[in-house]
Amino acid sequence: MSSDEGDSDMEYSDDDCGYADYYNTVDDCDIDQVDPSKSDPEYFLFECLLVEDVERLLNENVETLSSNLQITPSLAKVLLHTHGWAVQDVISKYQLDASLLLVQSRIKPPHPPSHTTTSSACGSQSSLVSKDGLEDDENQSNCPVCITASNAEVFSGLACGHKFCKDCWSMHFEVQIIQGISTGICCMAQQCDIYAPEDFVLTLLSKPSLRDKYQQFAFHDYVKSHPQLRFCPGPNCPVVIYAKEPKAKRSVCSKCKSSFCFKCGMDYHAPTDCSTIKKWLTKCADDSETANYISAHTKDCPRCHICIEKNGGCNHMQCYSCKHEFCWMCLGDWKAHGSEYYECSRYKENPNIAHESVHAQAREALKKYLHYYERWENHSKSLKLEEQTLQTIKSRINQKVMDASGTWIDWQYLLEAAMLLAKCRYSLQYTYPYAYYMEPSSRKELFEYQQAQLEAEIENLSWKVERAETTDRGDLENQMDIAEKRRTTLLKDFLEV
Amino acid sequence: MANIAAQRIKREFKEVIKSEEVAKCAIKVELVSDSYTELKGEIAGPPDTPYEGGNFVLEIKVPETYPFNPPKVRFLTKIWHPNISSVTGAICLDILKDQWAAAMTLRTVLLSLQALLSAAEPDDPQDAVVAKQYKDAPDMFRLTARHWTAAYAGGPYSNPEFDSKIRRLADMGIESHDARVALSSFNWDLERATEQLFS
Repeated sequence: MSSDEGDSDMEYSDDDCGYADYYNTVDDCDIDQVDPSKSDPEYFLFECLLVEDVERLLNENVETLSSNLQITPSLAKVLLHTHGWAVQDVISKYQLDASLLLVQSRIKPPHPPSHTTTSSACGSQSSLVSKDGLEDDENQSNCPVCITASNAEVFSGLACGHKFCKDCWSMHFEVQIIQGISTGICCMAQQCDIYAPEDFVLTLLSKPSLRDKYQQFAFHDYVKSHPQLRFCPGPNCPVVIYAKEPKAKRSVCSKCKSSFCFKCGMDYHAPTDCSTIKKWLTKCADDSETANYISAHTKDCPRCHICIEKNGGCNHMQCYSCKHEFCWMCLGDWKAHGSEYYECSRYKENPNIAHESVHAQAREALKKYLHYYERWENHSKSLKLEEQTLQTIKSRINQKVMDASGTWIDWQYLLEAAMLLAKCRYSLQYTYPYAYYMEPSSRKELFEYQQAQLEAEIENLSWKVERAETTDRGDLENQMDIAEKRRTTLLKDFLEV
Repeated sequence: MANIAAQRIKREFKEVIKSEEVAKCAIKVELVSDSYTELKGEIAGPPDTPYEGGNFVLEIKVPETYPFNPPKVRFLTKIWHPNISSVTGAICLDILKDQWAAAMTLRTVLLSLQALLSAAEPDDPQDAVVAKQYKDAPDMFRLTARHWTAAYAGGPYSNPEFDSKIRRLADMGIESHDARVALSSFNWDLERATEQLFS
């Protein structure tokens, strides 16, 4: 039989090729017709930009605003930075009440300054060097910071009317920039929070090295305040991701291949939303000691009680010693998971908990948390173990090809299956925080039903991937399709972005 | 940089000495060294507070980047206050941190600290134990703060009950300051303070 296998496989694969080609073309047609933004709940359009591209993009915004409102680009930057780069919003607010907008953006003081000229009260142009406005008659005045008397022409100030000498401004900017502050630099007067715009800072800043630093920090602040931009969180990666519609979806850096949620920059977490995953991760970090202790790495076989260490991703376990098949999660018989309703992902709440004592409620709360945490942690571990499985698969493929059972091409489907398995398990892992924070409702029941379905199919797929011995891929591809369909169905129904 | 700092401090020094607050004995500054980098400040406890009648000494360190960075100030006199550490004298006050402005002076700092003694901010505490007492047992807080003022800042109001409790612990070989801290932390519950000291 084994000698025949090579031949029969060859026939098979020939057939497969033709079949697959035919199938693929049909698939392509489908994709052309269906709008992926509607059919794929994870569909997300983004671009990976370099610093120059981002600078160009920001400058376009600045130019639009400054030409529209007839203000300096530097002032336009302050307005855009304080208003999340919403150009149209700033324009309409400016037309509605320019003075209010300038006060809210901390460009102009809420009350006109008492000792300054009336002409600069408009504030749309920060008077860089204002020769008037000082009380001293003999053109000599004391700078309130260095308390040195100087000629009026060395004094300057912002729209708030507080005047200081050039040297003090320069020193103030140096100290602030060294501390990493750029767009947040304010006037030096007590309780004055008027921003110093870029041109004001750069004109008065004397050290050239600090000018570069200022611009670097300011660029960083601008990207951070821009809702459509996000720095790639990869270490030392200069890429900035641009998304026209900012959503909590997966973006992948084209340079360092980091994959993360566009909205919060953390690991991608569908179907859970950004604030929930943050809450969950903080909780896990706080409670990890207890949870780690309880969910140890090994479990005993429920039948023969031999100690079993999990070394594969699949939760469908078979004891090496007694061949008993069981579920790693609930330690129940696996038979119940295959045909009957798969339920071990669902947490069964005690219906009478409200009448129990505080201690019992605390115990119940911990039990509930541990239920979800164990599953979350378990899938995370499974994902890591499946990375190893991928390596094993690769060496197994090599072995098979050497043994002349199928060609290298014939076995590639197994790698695809492993890749899909990782993708599905990743989504499944992130369904647990979602379920943990859901209030008991019919919607939660639906969610946990779909979650259970997905989990069952993933375990089936995992089992099949680890045990694939032939190039007969029909069964496995069928399982891949089912698992991916379950995953997208769940995301379509519950991913809210 | 050091130039501006020294120059500023010299000027401010004169300003504080000339100011009307000094005339009223409310604030005071002294040089510790000739370099103008270390100063000693003094503020009087504001009237109608548990600190009334007390005189509080401050350590003021002037950084090289002064006045573009705030001076470093802490209480040398022990004080019972939610925003001041009863152990180190470290102060939690916004103008000594991010709300500092270069145009502020030593005089404004000392006056702000005096204002802090009149109006504590227990929601932004430096000393959690004191802040908790301030919120949960305000009468106990007032008595304790007044007792500390008498013990460390020369305040006029002694509290015979508190003094006798400290003496009880002192008889057991406890330093009177340690006894005062323990008793203050436990709302002057002698039993609990003893328990904590000997555990």
